[in-house]
Amino acid sequence: MGAPDHNDISPSDTVVDLIGVCKTYRQKQRSAKLSEVFRTMLRPQIRQVEALREITMQVGRGEVLAYAGPNGAGKSTTIKLLSGLLAPDAGTVRVLGLDPIRHRTQYVRRIGVVFGQRTELWWDQPIAASFEWKRVVWDVPRPRYERMLGLLKELLGLDELFHSLARELSLGQKMRADLGMALLHEPEILFLDEPTLGLDVLAKRDILRFITDLNREQRITVVVTSHDMSDLEQLAGRIVLIHKGRIAFDGSWERLRREFTDQRRLLLEIAGGPPPILTAATLVSNEAGRCEYVFDAGHKSIAALLAEAAAQVEILDVETHRAAIDDVIADIYERWQQDGTRSHEGGLAKTSAP
Amino acid sequence: MQLWQVHGAMDVRWMLRDIRTLLTFVIADSLSSIASASAIFLLAERFGAIGRWRADQIVFMLAYAMVVSGLPYLFFNYNVSYISRRVGRGQWDHTLIQPNPIWMSLLTEGFSPFSAIMAVLPGLALLAWAIPRAAPPLTLGWLALLLLNLSASVIIALAFSFLWGSLAFWAPRAAEELNLSTWKLLDQLKQFPLDGLGALLTGGLLTIVPSGFLAWYPCRTLLNIDTRPAGPMVTPLAAGVTALLATWVFRRGMKQYGRTGSQRYLSFGHRR
Repeated sequence: MGAPDHNDISPSDTVVDLIGVCKTYRQKQRSAKLSEVFRTMLRPQIRQVEALREITMQVGRGEVLAYAGPNGAGKSTTIKLLSGLLAPDAGTVRVLGLDPIRHRTQYVRRIGVVFGQRTELWWDQPIAASFEWKRVVWDVPRPRYERMLGLLKELLGLDELFHSLARELSLGQKMRADLGMALLHEPEILFLDEPTLGLDVLAKRDILRFITDLNREQRITVVVTSHDMSDLEQLAGRIVLIHKGRIAFDGSWERLRREFTDQRRLLLEIAGGPPPILTAATLVSNEAGRCEYVFDAGHKSIAALLAEAAAQVEILDVETHRAAIDDVIADIYERWQQDGTRSHEGGLAKTSAP
Repeated sequence: MQLWQVHGAMDVRWMLRDIRTLLTFVIADSLSSIASASAIFLLAERFGAIGRWRADQIVFMLAYAMVVSGLPYLFFNYNVSYISRRVGRGQWDHTLIQPNPIWMSLLTEGFSPFSAIMAVLPGLALLAWAIPRAAPPLTLGWLALLLLNLSASVIIALAFSFLWGSLAFWAPRAAEELNLSTWKLLDQLKQFPLDGLGALLTGGLLTIVPSGFLAWYPCRTLLNIDTRPAGPMVTPLAAGVTALLATWVFRRGMKQYGRTGSQRYLSFGHRR
């Protein structure tokens, strides 16, 4: 586990401040055996699922934070806590200096929330009507509304769909409209839960580009969750990886690669003969003199491998590739899964009678 | 006021989105209104009088009951009055991320002055027909009492709905459709004159299932069938008590929601 890279955030710059946040859910356990149905109905077994355990994290103003983890890691719980939809069992949640639950009405005026699998748009109304509804409910002054609307229409290309019904839009168009609506009141911080879920590559690219521009031009703070790591890497300068309710990593992408794995691919085009045998590198394919190897750059340098190969064969061409971030993260999840299996549920989920 | 205005405008837009929808709406609502009004006249004609109730007084009571049923559709549509659906389907989050007090959102979000008008108009028309025939001489004071009692009856119906609907905070899946049953229960029971029933049954229908307050009791006092002077104030008092009880349970439900959040989300029925 790595130490945060972002300790240089001064208190006045901190917009999200989570200190020792814990959240536990209770799940009733049901038996498959008929003989136990009545017993479990009267005295159910309760499983305590610790969704978040002692989460401490700060996010600075203008920062884009990627918040990632495998399914069930606690990402959505965190976004709900930050949006004021859920209260922590222990610890404190402060965003923009406010308690999201206690100061709800004041707080939600200053934030924007987009859940990828939900929409805030009125289903049977034109997008224009949903935007007007937002203006009235959020009490946005007309000149400010007009200015933001103009900006959002331009950046998100909303003009073409502004007078269509929400239910007639494609997933990507809906997401663009939802994003626009979330930003209409000029929030200081934007929480995005899986904003690119189900979008095609083009729609995804538009959304990612928009969020990046928005952050650069408006200095809006963004906390974004996604399972698509390459999306997150494009957006965020910092990643917090959460695993079984704990922060497993908090730092830059560069450091993530360095600390967990710096796996690379080496492609050698050789003049002929058998592929060279390289120590600390695994041959994965060999076709018509093109030999592909996988190696960990943290253990062996490319220069050393090339020297070893050159001593055995004549090299015509060389290519190296870093592992895609999705592969790096998949490796990390896999490692966690294996560790979890080895430690036999590791006491992370406790079972107790009520 | 601005919130009602924006929701009213959205309701018009929804109604007028295409000519086919509009015609279907108008024809279906007109047929349903004619059927409701005819049923009331037929009942009054068939029985002539029930106990101390004359036929025109029965029409007044049934019209009053129709208005009480219709007003929640007019002001608390989109599952605001069916709160168990909103909570049970995980749609409560949409209300929580609005920067207004919860009561304000609930009071304005379901306003449907055009699409739900036919739920109220037949009742109002029947009431207008029955008042000169059944009611005591019309005075401003009596009209104020009528309005007070009508509002109180609607509050009781809504409070009853919120009281039971709040169970969805604890059991979202099981209680999601609970308000369908509570409204059906009130609708079926509200139009019966309860005179002559035993004290236990009458008491039960004024407390546990307060359907007696949705038409029978307030109409008895408004039409001077029950001449006790404090009579017209009983329904408003009951409305206050039921509303307080519902608020208390609902607030407890909200705390529970803060602890557990929503474990499921269905978009069905949200904003149409």
